[in-house]
Amino acid sequence: MSASQSAVRSRAEAVKASRTFDWLICFTLFFVVLGGYHIHYMLTGGDWDFWTDWKDRRLWVTVAPIVSITFPAAVQSMLWWRYRLPFGAVLCVLGLLLGEWINRYLNFWGWTYFPVNFCFPSNLMPGAIVLDVILMTTGSMTATAVIGGMAWGLLFYPGNWPIIAPLHVPVEYNGMMMTLADLQGYHYVRTGTPEYIRMVEKGTLRTFGKDVAPVSAFFSAFVSILIYFLWHFFGQWFNKTDFVKAA
Amino acid sequence: MAATTESVKADAAEAPLLNKRNMFLGVLLYVVFYGWVRWYEGVYGWSAGLDSFAPEFETYWMNFLYIEFVLEVTTAGILWGYIWKTRDRKVMSITPREELRRHFTHWTWLVMYATAIYYGASYFTEQDGTWHQTIVRDTDFTPSHIIEFYLSYPIYIITGVASFLYAKTRLPAYQQGLSLQYMVSVIGPFMILPNVGLNEWGHTFWFMEELFVAPLHYGFVFFGWAALGVMGVVNTEVASISKLLKKDLA
Repeated sequence: MSASQSAVRSRAEAVKASRTFDWLICFTLFFVVLGGYHIHYMLTGGDWDFWTDWKDRRLWVTVAPIVSITFPAAVQSMLWWRYRLPFGAVLCVLGLLLGEWINRYLNFWGWTYFPVNFCFPSNLMPGAIVLDVILMTTGSMTATAVIGGMAWGLLFYPGNWPIIAPLHVPVEYNGMMMTLADLQGYHYVRTGTPEYIRMVEKGTLRTFGKDVAPVSAFFSAFVSILIYFLWHFFGQWFNKTDFVKAA
Repeated sequence: MAATTESVKADAAEAPLLNKRNMFLGVLLYVVFYGWVRWYEGVYGWSAGLDSFAPEFETYWMNFLYIEFVLEVTTAGILWGYIWKTRDRKVMSITPREELRRHFTHWTWLVMYATAIYYGASYFTEQDGTWHQTIVRDTDFTPSHIIEFYLSYPIYIITGVASFLYAKTRLPAYQQGLSLQYMVSVIGPFMILPNVGLNEWGHTFWFMEELFVAPLHYGFVFFGWAALGVMGVVNTEVASISKLLKKDLA
């Protein structure tokens, strides 16, 4: 092979080849990240994300941001730190939401007939936009972890509030006080229902609002900061181009 | 003039750098096949998949399982064997243009892998959650598992290993050894399949209802992280493609 030989016939062909690779890379990265992020999220925060009766003011607010900041931190460590592309978090969340919406519609509704207003996914987009904007404007991993990670946790509940508020209205049903979302859960009994009732919003400070959600969001924000740091370094490892010698 | 005509003829006869037709047909194959699988689930999941002791379960689901096992082992053997047997033994002496063409073919494989990973890790895995929240399992081989664990996972494993083997046997960039991040991105998701052993053992042992966030499922999560190895593959590819095109893009 001669070093002077060219792989392309003209500059135009080189540009075309380069653009084509961009599309192939975008498609592959998007769907592989979608697959990895989705299986991670559905098995660490999934039940809180599947059903409205799990979308409570305490554990949903705590768990969902903590387990979902992982892949955005790792993918940012590639797209920003290697290629100066400021959309790592949005790419992850768009992928996750696409995978979730297809599933909730075609499978949760289409196969097992849970209505979509009972099994729609959580909205992570506001936090993702803020995470990317902070990284782009500060160019600092530490600032993104501390400010962006905190924003990720704090914005989760307000970002979902317009969707979930009507289902958190208190109702009295057979002499019991519950939310409309709880009532949905009682009507759509699932095989995990006994375990579910034990796990949803357990604790002694069960209220219909007030302190629980902001306190949970603040705790979630704190842990999200730590998880961001951890996953940024995970991402750096996955970014390497190491080779091992075959034995 | 004559030389120019010959050159144009040669260009016209030369295979394109990227065979778009093959790529679109490949993706279409997954989409159409999995569309049919989803139709089959919809029809025979409810009509024949609720009771594993029923004769119709054997007909429509266990036979599906046996057939897919045979087809998967055969496909893997033929495909991986073909890629290995037809390997380029002088891979370091190919022309830059041939190298570029092979990178495009490699990316066709990676696009297939991305499609297969989407169906396996996202579509059929979350689907499993809703099926088992609806139907109490009386077997490890439920309609959902027969598709998720024993069809969609082997398909992305077959595709991923084929992609890895193609790179290893035909591209100079992968001749320095075994690409660690590439192996992680293929072997990690592969390990999700053996982890099914733990999962099914646990479900048999501890609980039959579904709770997706149960610690029993964390093995899938851990190996799912390995998909991020694709970032290292992208970086390796970008470096070697840049080397090929840099001079002409300057």
